[in-house]
Amino acid sequence: MDTVAVSTHRKPRRRRRRFTAGIAGRYLALFLTIAFTIFPLVWLFLTSIRSSADIFSVPVHIIPVTATLTQYVSVFGEYDTMDYVWNTIIVSFVTVILVHLLAIPCAYALSRFRMPGVMLIFGLLLIMRMIPVIALAIPLFAVFAAMGLLDSIWALILAHTAAKLPVAIWLLLGFIQDVPREIEEAAQSDGAGTMRTLVQIVTPLIAPGIGASAVITFLFTWNDLLLALTLTSSKAAQTLPVGLTNFVSQFGIDWGAMSAAGVLMVIPTLVFVWFAQGLLVKGLTTGAVRG
Amino acid sequence: MSSIPQNRVSGRRRRSPLPYTWQKGYLLAGPAFVVMLAIFVYPLGYSFLMSFFRWDLSGSAPFIGTGNYTDELFGRQFNQALRNQIIFSVVSITVEVVAGMAIAVLVNGELRGMRLARTLLLVPPMIAPAVVGLNFRWLFNTQYGLVDALLRMFNLPNIPWLSDPTWALVSVIIADVWQNTPLMVLLFLAGLQSLPQEPLEAATVDGAGPWQRFWHIVLPLMRPVIMIALMLRIIDTFRTFDVVWLMTQGGPGGASNLLTVYAYLLAFQAVDFGHAAAVSYIALGMSLVVLGLLYGVPWLIAKRRAI
Repeated sequence: MDTVAVSTHRKPRRRRRRFTAGIAGRYLALFLTIAFTIFPLVWLFLTSIRSSADIFSVPVHIIPVTATLTQYVSVFGEYDTMDYVWNTIIVSFVTVILVHLLAIPCAYALSRFRMPGVMLIFGLLLIMRMIPVIALAIPLFAVFAAMGLLDSIWALILAHTAAKLPVAIWLLLGFIQDVPREIEEAAQSDGAGTMRTLVQIVTPLIAPGIGASAVITFLFTWNDLLLALTLTSSKAAQTLPVGLTNFVSQFGIDWGAMSAAGVLMVIPTLVFVWFAQGLLVKGLTTGAVRG
Repeated sequence: MSSIPQNRVSGRRRRSPLPYTWQKGYLLAGPAFVVMLAIFVYPLGYSFLMSFFRWDLSGSAPFIGTGNYTDELFGRQFNQALRNQIIFSVVSITVEVVAGMAIAVLVNGELRGMRLARTLLLVPPMIAPAVVGLNFRWLFNTQYGLVDALLRMFNLPNIPWLSDPTWALVSVIIADVWQNTPLMVLLFLAGLQSLPQEPLEAATVDGAGPWQRFWHIVLPLMRPVIMIALMLRIIDTFRTFDVVWLMTQGGPGGASNLLTVYAYLLAFQAVDFGHAAAVSYIALGMSLVVLGLLYGVPWLIAKRRAI
């Protein structure tokens, strides 16, 4: 691959092969990009390990004076953040499971069975992925209010399951279409029924696809603010992102505790990005639309 | 195309020896359809219907035709939100796509540390926008925030990031650009790496400089990827809520209201669901129109050229 900006003079000191000014420029671009990408998050982390006196000091200390866990202690002690954390975990996991129990057979049927109206369904799925969440949240509030479901974990789980299904189905469709039909035909001629073929043959073959859509579904449910903000109103069902907004209104702004809660929110993302980067990229590029 | 299962003849490949009947198909897909119909399509249809009524959850809901829509379209607050939305979408998408492309082209190739860089670039697009909003609100804090501290360090005047109407919208755009430019870089890097090498080599042999190669060869070849990037960002900017909510709640005085934030305030602070539903449908309609133009205009041009 040729370089974008080729320069003729070499750097005098560094005697590495083909280390031109062009390459140096590209390393500089890479370094600056990464620095700008990471620094705001580093700053969030640094704020979360400062003492409150250090946070509210002028002039601002770039390097924390002391490293302390007091902000995290107060997040869990004073602010009962554990309730929010549990709600978020339960909602995210149950949503992922429900979405995939429903989406896998649905995607299989859509890609293999000759169903009338398939094109209409594809069109609907595409449009559903574009709907602003607020358009869904407004009527869901009214519907759940009429059903007495507001401010419950189940309201959130149902809402997220329905909202994340179109993306998951769309993602899985692509993976199922890559499975050669001969394998299923062989299974069926050996006497396996439709369900058995789906569960024992197709599902293992599309495991990477399921992993990708599970990671995407999980993170977008974990990160959601709008649905939780509209459908819940107490610690019985509020999630961490809503907890963040409560830090602002109830207690003035406790920046230290808020930063610590923010760091907690980011942890699953960091874990998935580090350990399941391939799945995430697959999910983002195959689905090509955020949940 | 028949839906009758064909007889199985072992050892021979048939077009479809499986019992892929539509009844079974709907049985498998049914549960997902039921959930989506009940909790997605029905509520949306209901709110579309109710956007033509006075809908404030009080019980009586008289039909008012397109009243909610005309109220909004001629209302001051809606037009402020619409203006903000257009500025927000145009500026942040332009910056993200141009910067994303520039960075991708600059760092494309075998640089050391690219694997780690890719991993790190994936972090901002995947973290909660609520955390991004919170973090930038902290960075832009006028008293204790880092950005103003750095400005002071270089003897530059402080900027009223979140309290000034103009700067509030700029701040929200900065946060959005920070979160989404890395996604554009990753998309464009993937696109650049799957480009065919022959045209580029041929152009180099013919004496084309790097800029000419980019402009006349790389950019046209990258068009499909750029279209996907634009589509992603158009859909997403018209649904942006979280970042704004944690940074400014649409303030000061509605100066950073986007359409979704405005719809939320209408529904859950003014308890005016009819107007809120109308606004959310206008937002959806706008993103559909923009996407239609994005795909329709090049298609029309190509069609006219063909004639």
